Amino acid sequence: MIAEIDVKAVLSRSVCEFHSDLVTRSTGRAVRSGIEAHLQEHPDVTVVVLDFSAVRVLDCSCADEVVAQLLLRRSAGEADRPTYFLVRGLDETHADQIDDVLRRHGLALVAEERGGARRLLGWVTELMRTAWAGLASRGPAEAEELASDLAWPVADARAALDELAFHHLVMRAESRYLPLPAA
Amino acid sequence: MTALVEVAQFFDDRSFEQFAAAFAAAPAGERVLVDAHACEWASPFGFVALLCAGQALAERHGAKPLLTVPADRDVAHYWARTGFFREAEALFEIHGTVPRVKPQAETTVLLEVTPVRVAGDVHKVVDHIQERAAAILTAELGLDPKATVGFGMALSEACQNIVEHAGTGGWVAVHAYTWRRRLGRRVVVIAVADAGVGFRQTLAPTQAAAFGERWGDARALEAAFIHGVSRFRDPGRGQGLRGIRRWLDRWGGKMSIRSGTARIAMVPPWDEDVPLKDGLDMFPGAQVQVVIPAAAPDRSRAANDSSEAPPARTRPDTGTTAPEAK
Repeated sequence: MIAEIDVKAVLSRSVCEFHSDLVTRSTGRAVRSGIEAHLQEHPDVTVVVLDFSAVRVLDCSCADEVVAQLLLRRSAGEADRPTYFLVRGLDETHADQIDDVLRRHGLALVAEERGGARRLLGWVTELMRTAWAGLASRGPAEAEELASDLAWPVADARAALDELAFHHLVMRAESRYLPLPAA
Repeated sequence: MTALVEVAQFFDDRSFEQFAAAFAAAPAGERVLVDAHACEWASPFGFVALLCAGQALAERHGAKPLLTVPADRDVAHYWARTGFFREAEALFEIHGTVPRVKPQAETTVLLEVTPVRVAGDVHKVVDHIQERAAAILTAELGLDPKATVGFGMALSEACQNIVEHAGTGGWVAVHAYTWRRRLGRRVVVIAVADAGVGFRQTLAPTQAAAFGERWGDARALEAAFIHGVSRFRDPGRGQGLRGIRRWLDRWGGKMSIRSGTARIAMVPPWDEDVPLKDGLDMFPGAQVQVVIPAAAPDRSRAANDSSEAPPARTRPDTGTTAPEAK
């Protein structure tokens, strides 16, 4: 199941209904707690789209607390079923903040731009980026199929896809790899 | 006995060093008179630094220091309109007439001198200024609208340094005016300052041992400003200053931090500042200045400034223009 979360709405509920800005670390912690509470109430959710469209200012501290810490805690808490996060509605400055905090933690995330195009933010290798773009372009595939598309050795394609799956940037169903679904 | 600490005629981040020298030289047992009677203009950095001095002197002596109001009536009115006296009254014993000013839409003061103590204050500051800043940055400075979101980020991160690290409250002020000789363009200047523990003491528990005898204010500023080091071991911490630098780099801005006996700066091509100064006179806490210049020289704008705010007093060495001396 896919859940779409309006981050500004969580900010209003968690901190103050009049705030449009995701600033300060304490605000970030409150917003992250609000998102985590929502996810605990909906344990069947596997894909979470965080919508930043209505957020005006996002500072580095808040980006770290909301996005990076959410991913770190997800990694620590998911023993049985993975949760996949996407971000949407970022402007260029928001994307810069999130990209930087993710890199510092060695994390990555799929971002859907306002026009609908997707890109990766955070720490990814060139092989991962190319494999991710190839999979996004052709749809679900096995490592052999992607290797054929990219004219790569199968072992390289599989390694890149496994790394993408490890970072929750693609889904894996047995031997097939799938791009994250749209909300 | 009363020790005298003079406020320069044009009081900004450069002339601040004379002020800091007098501040450091004031004998510990003597009450201090901060003499601003001859001051003709102060930058936002000057205002928040004065408040830091007031707080530090009051803590040092257990009694409020004295402060003389600028003798020039128009200058005193300008100081009042910046919100300086509202904060200063709690820190200084003020001598001279503090003008009573009515709230009005200021053309140059984007954010009055505003206290920052807790995270909620940062929200208020960003919330208050964001719409006006957007108009100033795009219409007056000619920056891309994308710059305005980063402005709120920079302001927030600069203020959060106080909340997270200073161990006391501080102040922020934001003004827009023209640096006539220094740059020949309009600028928006953010000044954030506190009289707290400073970068050296904040980072000492995690960094001092690695530097040994070389540890000091300059090394602490380099660690925080250049390398993004924080007192927390979490790699997600210490990114605020880096975020400001990234944003300023994109828009040709400048940033400097003075803390203790050192000062570090990110120097854009249009400025001749030095990246790092050590061995300065001791001044408590941390004082941050962020400068965002207009996209390109705009001579017509500079000319208009004179008609908006006569007489435009120009500082001899820097060309800083008093925004509205009359």
